[in-house]
Amino acid sequence: MIRLAFALMALPTALVAGDLVVEGPIVPLAPPGAMAHAAYMTLTNTGDVPRQLIGVQAEGYLMAHIHRTELKEDIVSMSSVDLMEIAPGQTVAFEQGGLHVMLMGPESPLENGGTVELTLEFANGETLPVSAKVVPMVAGGHGHGS
Amino acid sequence: MRVVAALLITLFAGSASAQVQGVKLDEPVDMPPFAFTNELGEDFTDDDLNGNWTIVMFGFLSCPDVCPFTLGNLEAAVAETGMRVRPDNVPKVAFISVDPDRDADFVSEYAKFFHPDFESFTGSRDQIDTLIEATDSFYRLMKPDHTGYYEVQHSSSVSVIAPDGTLRAKLQPPFDPGMTAEFLARLQIEYRKELSQ
Repeated sequence: MIRLAFALMALPTALVAGDLVVEGPIVPLAPPGAMAHAAYMTLTNTGDVPRQLIGVQAEGYLMAHIHRTELKEDIVSMSSVDLMEIAPGQTVAFEQGGLHVMLMGPESPLENGGTVELTLEFANGETLPVSAKVVPMVAGGHGHGS
Repeated sequence: MRVVAALLITLFAGSASAQVQGVKLDEPVDMPPFAFTNELGEDFTDDDLNGNWTIVMFGFLSCPDVCPFTLGNLEAAVAETGMRVRPDNVPKVAFISVDPDRDADFVSEYAKFFHPDFESFTGSRDQIDTLIEATDSFYRLMKPDHTGYYEVQHSSSVSVIAPDGTLRAKLQPPFDPGMTAEFLARLQIEYRKELSQ
C-alpha cells in the first residue's frame, strides 16, 4: 500500500494502458455451487518500464485474487500472489495449472457467452479494464496446447 | 507402508517423464469400509466399488483451477474409455470433497456439471481420512486468513478401483483424455488376465 501511495504521488497524472496488452481473457464455465472459479489471459508489457500487477477487482464477486497453482510431488497447492512484476517485453500467462485470477463468491451463476468485468491494478496507480468472456470448459485444458 | 513407498517412487519417476497418465500399483490394495453422502441423500460406500470400475477423486468446491480441469478431463477420458471397453466396464466417477464445512449443502451438483453420471459426496472427517489414507492420498486444510478463508492442499492424482473393490492404479496430470483412456483400457485387460490365471 505504501508503494501504491508513493507511486500515485510520483505519477499524479492518469496513465493510459497503451503499453499493456491483454489477450484472450476467458472465464471457463464453473459448476453450480462452486464458490470460486478462475479467469485466464495473457498480459504483455509492450512498454519500456517494468510494471507491477498488484491486484484485481471483479464485478459481481465478493473478492478476486491473483493466485498461483503449484504441483509438487503430487500435492496441489495454491498461493496468493501479492505482486507480479512484468518486465518490458515480457508476457505473463495466466493459464490452467499456474497463475490465475481467482474469482470468489459469485453473486450469480455464470452464463455461457456472458462476460466478467475485471480491473487489473498496477503499482503505479494505473488500472486496466478487462472483459473476460465466459466460455465452455474444454477438456485438455487452457494453455496445454491440446 | 512399503506399498506406499513403492507407489511414491513410481509417481515421482512418472512425473519426471512427460505424458505418463497413470501408474499401476505393484499389488492391489484393499479398501476399508467407508460411507459418504450428499445433500440429496445419495450415498457412496465401499459396496459401490463392487462389480464396476470406479475413479475416486478428492477435491473441494472452492478449487478454482485444478479440480474443474481434472473433472473436465476425466469426463473426456471416460468418454474415450467408453469407445474401448464394454459399456459395463466404463468407470464410474466419484468426487469426494475434503471440505464438508463449506461444501456439504450443495456438493451433489459439482460433479454432475461435468457429466450427468458423475457423482459427488462428502462426509465426516474420519471417513474422509479413512479413504484418503487407504488410497495413499493427501489433503490438508490450511490456516484461515483474516477473512476466515482457507486454502486446501490435496493430491493431484486420482484413484482407480477395480470391480473387486481393490485400488489398482493412480491417474495423474495432465489427464490427457486419449492417453488416460488407453491406460484404463490396458489396465482392464491386465486385470482380466490376472483373474483368469
